[in-house]
Amino acid sequence: MKAVFVAALLSLSSCFALSPQQQLSQLASAGNGIIKLNAETYDLLTSPKRNWSASIQFTALDARRKCSPCKDFNPSWNAVAKAWANAPANVRQEHFFATLDFDDASSVFQKLGLNSAPIVFNYPPTDGDRKPASGNTSPIKYDFSDGFEARPLAEFLSKFTPVPIPYKDPIDWAKFVTIAIGVLGSLLFLRFIAPIVQNRWSWAAATVVTILVMVGGYMFTRIRGVPYNGGNGNWIAGGYQNQFGQEVQVVAFIYGLLSFALLMLILVVPHQKSPQRQRLQVYLWTGVTMIVYSVLVSLFRVKNRGYPFKLFL
Amino acid sequence: MSTAYPIPSDVSPATVRNTASLLRIVALALISGAAIASLLSMNCACIGPLLVEKKILTVTIAILGSTSVGVNLLWSRATRVLAAKGFYEFWNWFDPTAWYPLGRVVGGTVYPGLMVTSGIIYNFLHALNLPVDIRNVCVLLAPGFSALTAWATYMFTKEMKDESAGLLAAAFIGIVPGYISRSVAGSYDNEAIAIFLLMFTFYCWIKALKQGSALFGTLAALFYFYMVAAWGGYAFITNMIPLHALALLLMGRFSSRLYVAYTSWYAIGTLASMQVPFVSFQPVSTSEHMGALGVFGLLQIVAFAQLVRTHVSSQQFQKLLYGAVVAIGVLGAFAFVFLTYKGKIAPWTGRFYSLWDTGYAKKYIPIIASVSEHQPTAWPSFFMDLQFLVFTFPAGVVLCFRELRDEHIFVILYSVVASYFAGVMVRLMLTLTPVVCVASAVALSTLLDTYIDPVEPVAEEDVDDAVSANGSSSATPPSQPASKKAKKAAAAPAKTALGDFVAATNSKGGPPRRKGIFGLDSRLVVLFNTLSMLVFFVFHCTWVTSNAYSSPSVVLASQNPDGSQHIIDDFREAYYWLRQNTPKDSVVMSWWDYGYQIAGMADRPTLVDNNTWNNTHIATVGKAMSSSEEVAYPILRKHDVDYVLVIFGGLIGYSGDDINKFLWMVRIAQGVWPDEIQEPNYFTPQGEYRIDDRASKTMKESLMYKMSYYRFNELFGGQQAVDRVRQQQVPKEGPTLDYLGLLLSSSPGTCAHNEAEILPILTDEAFTSENWIVRIYEVKKEDLLGRDLKSANQFAQGKKRKRSKPAPRRRAIVCKIYEDSRLWMNKTGHCFLLFVRIKSSTLSDLREFRSQEIPERSALSRSFPILRTPTAQDAKEERSIYIHTHPTSNAQRPLPSLSAKGHRPFLSSLRSEPINLPQAQVRPSIFLFSLFKCYHSLFVMTLFEIIQNIPNLDCSISSGGSQQSRTD
Repeated sequence: MKAVFVAALLSLSSCFALSPQQQLSQLASAGNGIIKLNAETYDLLTSPKRNWSASIQFTALDARRKCSPCKDFNPSWNAVAKAWANAPANVRQEHFFATLDFDDASSVFQKLGLNSAPIVFNYPPTDGDRKPASGNTSPIKYDFSDGFEARPLAEFLSKFTPVPIPYKDPIDWAKFVTIAIGVLGSLLFLRFIAPIVQNRWSWAAATVVTILVMVGGYMFTRIRGVPYNGGNGNWIAGGYQNQFGQEVQVVAFIYGLLSFALLMLILVVPHQKSPQRQRLQVYLWTGVTMIVYSVLVSLFRVKNRGYPFKLFL
Repeated sequence: MSTAYPIPSDVSPATVRNTASLLRIVALALISGAAIASLLSMNCACIGPLLVEKKILTVTIAILGSTSVGVNLLWSRATRVLAAKGFYEFWNWFDPTAWYPLGRVVGGTVYPGLMVTSGIIYNFLHALNLPVDIRNVCVLLAPGFSALTAWATYMFTKEMKDESAGLLAAAFIGIVPGYISRSVAGSYDNEAIAIFLLMFTFYCWIKALKQGSALFGTLAALFYFYMVAAWGGYAFITNMIPLHALALLLMGRFSSRLYVAYTSWYAIGTLASMQVPFVSFQPVSTSEHMGALGVFGLLQIVAFAQLVRTHVSSQQFQKLLYGAVVAIGVLGAFAFVFLTYKGKIAPWTGRFYSLWDTGYAKKYIPIIASVSEHQPTAWPSFFMDLQFLVFTFPAGVVLCFRELRDEHIFVILYSVVASYFAGVMVRLMLTLTPVVCVASAVALSTLLDTYIDPVEPVAEEDVDDAVSANGSSSATPPSQPASKKAKKAAAAPAKTALGDFVAATNSKGGPPRRKGIFGLDSRLVVLFNTLSMLVFFVFHCTWVTSNAYSSPSVVLASQNPDGSQHIIDDFREAYYWLRQNTPKDSVVMSWWDYGYQIAGMADRPTLVDNNTWNNTHIATVGKAMSSSEEVAYPILRKHDVDYVLVIFGGLIGYSGDDINKFLWMVRIAQGVWPDEIQEPNYFTPQGEYRIDDRASKTMKESLMYKMSYYRFNELFGGQQAVDRVRQQQVPKEGPTLDYLGLLLSSSPGTCAHNEAEILPILTDEAFTSENWIVRIYEVKKEDLLGRDLKSANQFAQGKKRKRSKPAPRRRAIVCKIYEDSRLWMNKTGHCFLLFVRIKSSTLSDLREFRSQEIPERSALSRSFPILRTPTAQDAKEERSIYIHTHPTSNAQRPLPSLSAKGHRPFLSSLRSEPINLPQAQVRPSIFLFSLFKCYHSLFVMTLFEIIQNIPNLDCSISSGGSQQSRTD
C-alpha cells in the first residue's frame, strides 16, 4: 500500500516536473521504444493538444483472449518500434510507439468502440508545425491488407513520422544458407546429377508439372491468398471465379491423369507385342479417359451451375 | 502384309496424294468459312431465337451495326477519321472530347495497326467501287482475321508435325472459346488482329530458323512490326523469340541458321518497331526489350567464338576463348543492371512488372489491378475457354519432347511461359490459346494416325518367323529403314498415316512392323472415344460462345417468367437521352469503364475513358466519387462537369455496377491522395463492405453512395427497400443530395411546381433509366446569391439556416489569362498546366482571343472550344487550360510560342509515356541509329557468310603450310 502511494506520489511529482512530451519519451525509452499504455497514459498520449504524433497498437496478447493474429502481429510491431528507437534523438521525441493491451485498459476499447484486435491507429499532432495541412486530426487506421509483415507497416507509418523510420528487414540467414548449400551441393554433385539435367524426360516432367499446376489455377491461389480448403471437408469453393488451394491439386491431378492416359495410348500401347495384352490396355485407358473426363465435367458443373452438358456422371 | 480393314489396292500413290491435298484445301476453306460464319451467327444467337419479332430484329441490327462496337467506340471513331481524312490527319488527330479538359492526341497514344488495317480495307473496297460503310468494315474485321488466324495456325502446326495436325489445330482455333471471345463480329479490338499476327510471326520465325533463311527472318520482322503497331502485347514476341534462341544456344544447338534467322529478325524488326510513335525509343531503353538485345549480342559473341575456334588449334586458346566469352556475358549482364540502376534503361513498366511480382500491381498501381481482365485466372476459366484441349495440351508437349527438333523447343517454351501468364491474368488466356491448339492438335493427330493406320503389326509369336524371313531389314529398329527408304523413293512423308497408307497400297510385301495396333475393335474404341470428345467440344464451344461471349455489353438479356426473352436496354436509353436532351458541349463524368461508350453513343465529352494513360485524372474522378458532396463539388465545377453518370444495379440485380466497383475508385484515389481518402473508412468497424444501416459514415456520405441510392426507397412505397445485388436492406432514410440536382436557385420557375419533392442541392437527378441501371445527375451551378448550395437548398425548403462553416472551396489550379499569349508550364504533380495569359479578360476579349490569338490549326484551338461558353462569372474568375504533357520537361519553361508552324513540337510533347530525348531530336537520331544498326547488321551478316566459306579455303592454306614446313 505504501509502495503504491509512493509510486503515485512519484509519478505525480514527475508530472509536475516534466512536460508531457518528456514524460512520454521517458516512458518510451524505459519500454525499449514502446510505451505500454493504460487508461491514464492513453489519455496523456492522445491529449487533444499535442505537438507529437503517436502510433498505437490495440491488442490482446493475454493467452485467455485467444487472439492469434495479435501474437502474429506483435513481433512486427516491436521490430518497427525498435527501429524508431534508433532514429536521431531530436526527432525521436516527436513520434511515439505505444501498445495498449485489452486487459490493461478495456475502458479505452469501449470508449473507441473497438471490438476486434489487433488495430493500429495513428494519431497526427494537433499542434505545432507538423499539424496536418487538411486540419483533419482524427486517427488514421492501418489497413492490414498487406499482411502482418513489418516492412509494409514501416512504410505506412513513415508517412506520419517526421523522418522515415530507419527500418531494415532482418537478413533471412536461414534462407541464405539454404540457397548457398543448395547451390554448392548441386555444384559438387554436378557429375551425379548431370544425367538428370541432361535428360530430356526430366525436363519434360518438369514442364508438364508446371503447365498442369498453372492451368489448375495455382497463380490464382497465390495472388488471392485463398485458403487451402473451406474447412469441415468442404474443398470446392462456390462460384465460377473462385477456388481453394486443394482444387489446384485435384484438378491438376485429373488433367495429368487424362494426359497420361492419352500418352499411354499414343506411346506405349502400339509397342505391345501381344494382341490380348494390347487390347486390354486400349480398353483400360479408354475407360479411364471416359470416366475421369466425366468426373471433370461434373466437377465443372459444380463450379458453373449453368453448364448444360454432362457425361456419364 | 495384314491390314485391320480392307483398303483399295488399285489406287496409284499420285492419286492418293492429290486427293489428300484437295481434301486439305477444302477442309481449310471450310474451317475459315466456318470460323467467320460461326462468329457472325453466334453473335446473333443470343437474340436469334426471337428474330421473328420485329422489335427484336431492329435491336439486333442496331447492335450489330453500332453498339456492340461499343467496346471500342473510340477506335471506330478513330478509324472513321482515318478513312475520311487520311493517314496524316489521323496521326495528328487531337480528340478534345476525351479526357476533358486535357484532350487526347489519339494518333500518338494508340497502337494504330487496327485503324490502319480497316482504313486500308475500306479504301481498297472503295477503289473497287464497293461502297461499304466504314462501320461494316469495323464490325466484320474480327471474323475476317479469325479466318486468317486459322490459316496461320495451320501453317505453324504443319511445321511442328504435318498437315493433318495443322488442319486439326486450325479447326480448334476456329472455334475455341478462348479465342472466339475476341473475334466475334463487332468486337473491334486490337486483339482481333493481334493473334493472327502473333501466329504468323512465329510461323515465319520457325521457317527462318529451319531454313536459315534471311527472307523468312525479314518476313518475321515485318509481321513483328505490324504486331507492334497493333497491340501492346507485342512484347510477348519480343521476349519469346530471344528466349527460344537462348535455349537453343544453351542446348548447344547454335548454327548459322539460328544466327541468320535471329539477326535478320532482330535488326529489321527492332528498326521497324521504332517507327511506331507510341513505341519510339522503347526498344533500346526499356527492360522489356533488353532480353532481345542481349541475345543479339550473345549470338554475335558465340558466332565469333565459333569462327575463331575453327581457326585455332591450341586447346588452351580455346579454353581462353570460352573464358573470354563467359566474361563478356557476365560483364554485359552487370552493365545492364548498372544502367538500369542508374536510370539509363527504364525499369519494367507496371503492366509487365505485375506479371512477375504479382503483388506489385495491387499495391502500387491499383489502376491496373482494378481491371477485371487483369485478375488472376481460376481453373474453371481455363476449362471454360479450352475444354478438353486443356488436358490434351500437356500430352502434346510431351510428344514435342519426343522429337525435340528446334521448333519443338519453341512450342515447349511457349507453352510454359504462356500458361504462367494466363494464370496471372485472365486477359493473357488469349496468348495461351494458340499454343494449346497447336500442342493438342499434335497429340490428337498422333493418336488418330496411330489408330487409323490400317497396317497390323506382327504379333509376338510371329516375330521370330518374320525376322528370320526378312533377315537384315527387320534387324534394325523398325521405323528407321522404312522412313529412309520411303523418303528417297517416293518422297512421301513416311511417318504419317498417309505415308503408311501410300506405302501399304504401294508395296504389299513390305517389311512387317513391330509397332502398331491389332484388330479392328481396339481401333474403333479409341476412335469413337476421340470423336465423341471432339463432338462434345463443338457443343461446348457453341454453348459458351452463344451464352458468355456474344452478348454485347450494352444490352442485357433476361428471361421473363413465361420464358420469353426480356431485353434490358438501359444503357442505350440513357446514352440517347444524353444525346437528345443535353447541350452538345456538356461534360459527362462517369467511372472510366463507360468513357468510350459515352463518347461514342452519347457523343459528349468525358472526363476519363477506358484508356489508362493518365492515372491522376482517373484518381480525380475516383476522389470526386468517393468524397462527400462538399469536397466533390469544387472538383466537379473545376472540371466543368455538367452531368454525372452512375451505374446502379441494385434494383434488378445487375452485379457489374458502380457500387461493386466503388472500392477500386477509393483505392485509386487513395493512391494519389492518401491523406484524404482512406479505404478502411469505407468499411464497417467489423471490416465489412455494407450499404445498409451499418454502413460507415464516410460510405454513406460519399457521392457515389448518394447518387446510387438517392430516392431508392421511395420506389418501395414505404416498404423496406432491398438492394438485390448486395442482398442488403437500404436505410429507410435515404441520402439527400445538395450539390447535384435541379437548379433550384438559378431557375426558380422550373422547380416551383414540384417544390415538395425537391431535396437535392448539389446535383439533381436528371434522368434514371427504366431499370434504374443508369442514373444521371446534373451538377448545379453556383448559387447566384453567393450562398453555398447546401444553405441555399435549406432555405428553399424553408429550413432555418444553420450557422456552419462554409464548404471548403479550394482554389482551382487556374491562372489568369493575360495579354501575351504565351504558354507557360507549371508543374503540379504529374500534370502540367499550360497557361494562356491574357490581361484584360472581359468577355468580348476572350472571344476575340479565341478567334485571333490562337492559330487556327493548333492543338490549343482545338481544345479551346470545349471550354464552356464564357459566362458573366468568367469575366471575374480565372480560367485555365489544362494540358497534359510528359513530366520530364522542365517546369516554367516557356514553350516556343504557338505560331502556325509551332504546333508540331507542341503536339508531340503531349505524349503520355515519358521520353528521355527532346522531341525535336528524335527523328534524326532514330534515323541515324537505324542507319547504323542496319549497316552493322548487314555488315555482320555478309561477314558471316564469307566466314562460312573460309574454312575450306583455310584448310587448304594451312595444309599447304604444314607441307611446306615439313619439307623445310
